[in-house]
This record gives sequence, structure tokens and C-alpha cells, in this order.
Amino acid sequence: MMTLRPTHALWLAALVGLALLPQIIAVKYYLHLSILALIWVIAAQGQNLIQGYTGYVSIVQAGFIGIGAYSTALMGIHYGLPVWLTILLAPLVTALFAVATGYPSLRVKGHYFAIVTLAFNLVIFIVLMNFTELTEGEAGITGIPRPGGSDGWLDWRDRETYYYFVLILAALMTGLAALIVRSRIGRILVAIRQNEDLVGAIGISAWKYKLFAFVTSAMYAGLAGAVYAHYQSFINPEIFGVAQSLDAILAVIIGGSGTIAGPVIGAFFVVFLPEYLRFADSFRLIIYGLVLVLATIFMPRGIVGVATGLAARIARRGK
Amino acid sequence: MKLLTMTTALALAGGAALAAEKTLDIGVSDALTGGAAVYGLPQANAVQMAAEEINAAGGITVGDDTYMLNVIAYDDKANPTEASNAVRKLLDRDGVRFILGFCCSGATGAVASFIANEDAVMLVGNAAERSITTREIPNLVRTRPPADYTGAAAGTFVAEKGHKRVAVLGALDVGFYASYVDAFEKELNAAGGEIITREAFGLRDRDMTPQLTKIREQDPDAILVVGYVEPAAFIYRQAVELGIDVPRYGFTSGSEEQFLRVATSEQMEGVWDLRPTELTLLSASENGIAYHANYTEKFGIAPSPSSPYAYDQTYALKDAIEAAGTVEDTAAVAAALRELPVPDEVVMQYLPVDGKMFDVNGQAYTSNGAFQWQSGNWVFVQDLPSDAAAYSAFLSTID
Repeated sequence: MMTLRPTHALWLAALVGLALLPQIIAVKYYLHLSILALIWVIAAQGQNLIQGYTGYVSIVQAGFIGIGAYSTALMGIHYGLPVWLTILLAPLVTALFAVATGYPSLRVKGHYFAIVTLAFNLVIFIVLMNFTELTEGEAGITGIPRPGGSDGWLDWRDRETYYYFVLILAALMTGLAALIVRSRIGRILVAIRQNEDLVGAIGISAWKYKLFAFVTSAMYAGLAGAVYAHYQSFINPEIFGVAQSLDAILAVIIGGSGTIAGPVIGAFFVVFLPEYLRFADSFRLIIYGLVLVLATIFMPRGIVGVATGLAARIARRGK
Repeated sequence: MKLLTMTTALALAGGAALAAEKTLDIGVSDALTGGAAVYGLPQANAVQMAAEEINAAGGITVGDDTYMLNVIAYDDKANPTEASNAVRKLLDRDGVRFILGFCCSGATGAVASFIANEDAVMLVGNAAERSITTREIPNLVRTRPPADYTGAAAGTFVAEKGHKRVAVLGALDVGFYASYVDAFEKELNAAGGEIITREAFGLRDRDMTPQLTKIREQDPDAILVVGYVEPAAFIYRQAVELGIDVPRYGFTSGSEEQFLRVATSEQMEGVWDLRPTELTLLSASENGIAYHANYTEKFGIAPSPSSPYAYDQTYALKDAIEAAGTVEDTAAVAAALRELPVPDEVVMQYLPVDGKMFDVNGQAYTSNGAFQWQSGNWVFVQDLPSDAAAYSAFLSTID
């Protein structure tokens, strides 16, 4: 008989809590932030695959989010494709770019890989900014439609509807990430993180698995970008720069690198904390930076790591 | 009877006190930190100052009620997502219905994309991207004219100066600077001139000697610099250092104080700024002189030339609310803005279209002016040709 383990109970409680959130919160502003946080959950789960499980710190996640966002918007505008189809195609378009960038990037390791991916993010940003005939440059693309027509049975202008849509997507993508890391592929990814040379020595072609992690990570980002574009109805290159890629890295580190729950917690952290610090005016970013530095120093395993450690300590005392 | 009289008097006094205590929150979303704060922070200050002036003069009268303004300002860092968050917070949490500020186009574009669905009125200031007022958003107005409106006038002016070969050095990846140059080029070409090169720089670049060296080799008649104040100041300085001795024209809207942080007055001597007739002390109206003095006294620093766009928003909003006779019905206030004559208190020199401050697109127009740096100051030299009615008709044709 299947038993409900504590972690499963926690996941269930979190899901129920998130499902009830729109009914609990009275101020819709927090619903808006929650939608952004859930979009970040998708992007951060992707980042976690390459960074947390494979051990390669990629600094191009926001660039891939941008490719997803622009591809869904442009396919809708230029080819008249329905929103649902463009949202599904956006991760595939992003995957094509990821294969093209991942193949050369993954020939280098460690800091060099980080620098190469950072360069790719800069290139993506510059192209989005300067290829104005296609991307409208800094002015951005506006009027990106929400899913569902005006005569649909769901009101997609209602943030609550969009919240549940993004919640379902985030839950599915989190579940998919869990399946990947528990599969043989996931175990090889962790092995690459632990000792890539040893993986090669036992006859496993590590680069294929690294490329898989990188491309899958990009597809997550592409999906997040597509969902973001149709939520905000407006995109411009500003939000797909290196600073946002660093936010994706931070979401993984703060939440708990190499854990499934970590990116979920970290995504809410990087969206909500700067907003809560608005009271501090010009000191906001200083406080935000300080919190991140302290968290990284004193919680290297992230919030999940600290919580797991506490739970283990309590369990030992209980015995 | 005496008791009744006293009770009535107390009730009346209480009622009067209640009326006097009514507060109307207005929001500001602007770049209060970061590179764009040179435009955003003065705008936020200008709204605060205008609100205090309005309160001191008795507030906004709506029927029997009088409203005192309370300004809630959030930093959007000129970032689209931050601006969306800031405005969502103002609308959803703070209950604000009137949002001012908006110095920068990207952040403004993001908010403009959803504001039509909100029970609110958005007043845009310094953000110059044309498309903001071509989307037919009924609850949005803008005090600053689009960049190409000014660029065309600048092109005519430079052509009339007899320059045929103009080199451009600008932040050309920023949409409204590029549209300024496009409109400039069109008028220059019409007069038989040409842009011989377009060199770009990033907003954070400080060393522009490679681009200037290339420009020097091409022997232009004049150079045109478009971009934020600080990089533009570096360009003017480095042009002198490289011995480029041709007229320098620009589109920056920086104050004397902002330029002198980077370049000396000698290095700036003779530079032209071709821009909307914004605040410059030597060209200002009585309102402008008073604004400059009050702002300087209150904040301990001179106002940036573009900051009155936000100051004027506040007075336009006051008049529109009073004309609409409501603070609740935002659609009525938005409609009143479209019908508004230019308020007496504004600082900028607006060119009304059909007698109204904002045209059917919600766009206001100022005159354009040629300003020249002379002995440490921007001196107003002459008006640039500005046909607000014709541009307004053109703007209405754009999808």
C-alpha cells in the first residue's frame, strides 16, 4: 500500500495553498506578483537542471526567456497563428537556438562555460535591441494577446484565470523536472556534476547529456517567456538581459540548488523580496543585495537545505 | 436652543473639517534610481512640488468637497517589469486612480499595454517614444511631444545653417533617439544634405573616441549627438580633445549642472541643443522662472529641463478633475483631459491643437527650440519650425 511520505504531504499542502491563494488574498497586486513568481518557477526549474543537477552555471536563461517571448509574439503577429499554438512552439524555437549555442558552449567547463553563455546572453540582447525591423527594438512589441478569444468561456483578462493557467503549467513543469532527475538521465546528470571525467571513463558520452540538460533548460525558459509575453501583453529587450539571468541563478541558489523544491521557493523569493523592500526607497537594492550575499554565505545549500537540516535535527532529538 | 445651536455649529465645523481632510492619492511611477534617474527623479520631485502648491492654494475642488493631494511615488528603474509591478501596486494595493511620471519609453510602453483595461488615468511625462500615443488609449495622455516631431524641426534648422554632410553619433538602439534621427535625416535630405555616417554608443559608454576618430576622418560639416546627458557630455568633451572643430548639435535635454559634471564650460561653448522648448532659465516664462526658483530652493538643486512635463501633468490633472466634477469616475476625468485648455500654471510652452492642450490622441505639443551653450548657460536662440496641428493629423494616421 502506498504511504504518504512527509515530502509528498508538503508538496500537496503547497499545491493546495497555491490553488487557494486567489481566494485568500484580497489585494490583486499580490496575485500579479504570484503570477510572475510562477513564471519564474518554470524558468528556475530549467536553470536548476543545468546548474543544480549538471553543475554547469549558465548565464543565458533570460536570453532564452526572451527568445521564447519574442518567438510567440512574432509567430502570432506575422503568421496569424493561434496563441495556444505559439505558446507550444516557443519552447521548440528556443530549443533550436539552444542547440546552436549549447554545442560550442559545452566544449568548455567551469568559469569558461559561464562566460561563454554570458556572451550569448549579451548577443541575444543586442540582437533584440537592434534588429528593429523584427523586434521593434527598445520600443518593444505591444498588444500581445492573451490566450482564448473574446467569446471564450474563460475570461483571460481576469488575472485569476491566468494565475490558474500558470499554476498548472508550473506544477506540470516541476513534475516533469522531478521525473527527469529521478530517471537514468537525471542520475547521469548528477554524476557529471560529481565527476565528469569518471562518467566519460565508464563509456558514457557526457556531452550528449549536458546538451540535453542545456536544451531542456532552454525549453523551460522559452515556455516561461511565452507565458510572460501573453500575460504582460508587452515585451522589450530590457527584461531579457544578463541581470535577469543572474536572478535565475539566484533563484536556484537561494531556494536550494539541485533540489526540486528549491527553484519554487527561490522564484517566489526573487520576485517578492524586491517588492517588499520598496519601503526602503533608494536603499532597496542595497538591502536586496545584502540579503542575497548573506544568504549565499550562511545558507550555501539554500532554504531547502536549511529546512532539511532543521527537520533532520528535530527528528534526531525526537528519537 | 443654545445647546442646539452649539450642536449644529459643532456638526458644521466637524463637516467642514471632514471636507478639508479629504485626501486624494495620486501615484508616480518613475526611475528614481539607476541611469534614467536623471530624468525620473526630477519628475517625481516636480509632481511632489506641484501637489504641495495645489494643497497650499486650497486643494482640488469637486462639488462641495475639497481634496488635498497625497503623492505616492515608486521607483520603476525605467524597467518594464518594475514599472508594471509599481503601477499594479498603486492600483491594486494603494487604490490610486491617477498615475503620473513616466520618464522612459520602455517602462511606459509596458504600463500603456494594460492601462486601457484599468479604472485609472495615466499621464505620461518625458517618455518620447511615438507609439505611446498612437494606440488610441482613451485614459492616457502625454505632455512631451514625440521625438520625431522635434527631429524634423531640428533637421530643417541644421539644413538652413548650410550643413550638407552631417555625422550622427547617438544611442541609436533606443527607439525614440533613432526616430529623432530618422525625421532629422528626412528634412536634411529634402534640403540637399545627407547623413554621412551613423555611429552608435551604449547608454553606459563613456569613451567615444573611436567613433569620434572615425567621424573626424570623414570630414563632416557638423555632428549631431543624440542620447542621455552624461554620454553626450563625454562626446562634446572628447570632440574638443580630438580637435574636431565643426558645429556640434544635440538632442539631450540636460541641464547646465548635469553637463558641467563631465565637461567644462569651455568645452561646451557653442554646442546646440535642438529640443522641445523645455525649461531653460534664460528662456523661461514667469511660471518657468518661479518653478526654477521654487524647485531649487526645495530640493537644493536646479531642475532638469524636462522635469516640468511632470509638473504640468499635475496641474492638468487638477483642472480635469475639477472640470469633470468627480474623482471617482476616471473615464470622465480622462475625457475632461482631452477637452482641457492649457492650464495657466504650466511651465512648458504648449501649442494647443483646436484650442486644447491634448489632441485626440492624448498628445500635447510644445514649441521646439534651438538652445546654444554660451558662457556656461543654455541660451534660447530661436524657435524651430513646429506645426503641431499637422503633426497631430499625421499621428492620427499611424496604427
